Amino acid sequence: MGHIKEPDGVDLVIKSRPLTKEEEIAISNYIRAYKAKHSIKKSQSKRATSKTRKVADPLMKK
Amino acid sequence: MTIKNGWNFNWKQELDNNSREVFKLTITNNPSIIQGLLSFTIKPDHLYMNLLESAPFNLGHKKLYDGVPGNLVAYACKVSFQNGFEGFVSFTAKTKLIEHYEKTLGAYHFGNQLMIIQPIIAQQLVNKYFKT
Repeated sequence: MGHIKEPDGVDLVIKSRPLTKEEEIAISNYIRAYKAKHSIKKSQSKRATSKTRKVADPLMKK
Repeated sequence: MTIKNGWNFNWKQELDNNSREVFKLTITNNPSIIQGLLSFTIKPDHLYMNLLESAPFNLGHKKLYDGVPGNLVAYACKVSFQNGFEGFVSFTAKTKLIEHYEKTLGAYHFGNQLMIIQPIIAQQLVNKYFKT
């Protein structure tokens, strides 16, 4: 797996400015929403997996 | 690591700021030569990168090593995971660099020059640089 190279002729530098209160709140809201959305997806996929197992078990006994 | 030595930022000031963490990137067997520097602040729910810079000899066409910024960003993601932030990292970018951060790092442009690295991308960066 290769490392990330900078694009030709571009030096990646970060010089962040201080966040405003509004920006901090906006980022926090985004993070909260992202986590909520992805935790729902995770729990849904777990449920789907357990359903598959229930169907598969009786077949295996036969 | 002073401006006189070709560095762009005042790293002494960063080190003196107690709310900021400063990390250097070196190579194995040569810990005295700094390849790049990173400063970040730990926020309540994520990590905010204040400054990131490659050493003067790692800039431009004749740079000694490629990939210094990617390595330092991956480290920021790792620290974010260690703090329980699921890899969330943010920073602000110059307008002309936004597209590059999207393409090279996979950062999400949140608007108003704000960039966010989301957990999936953060995990990929950590795996790329720190998985042994």
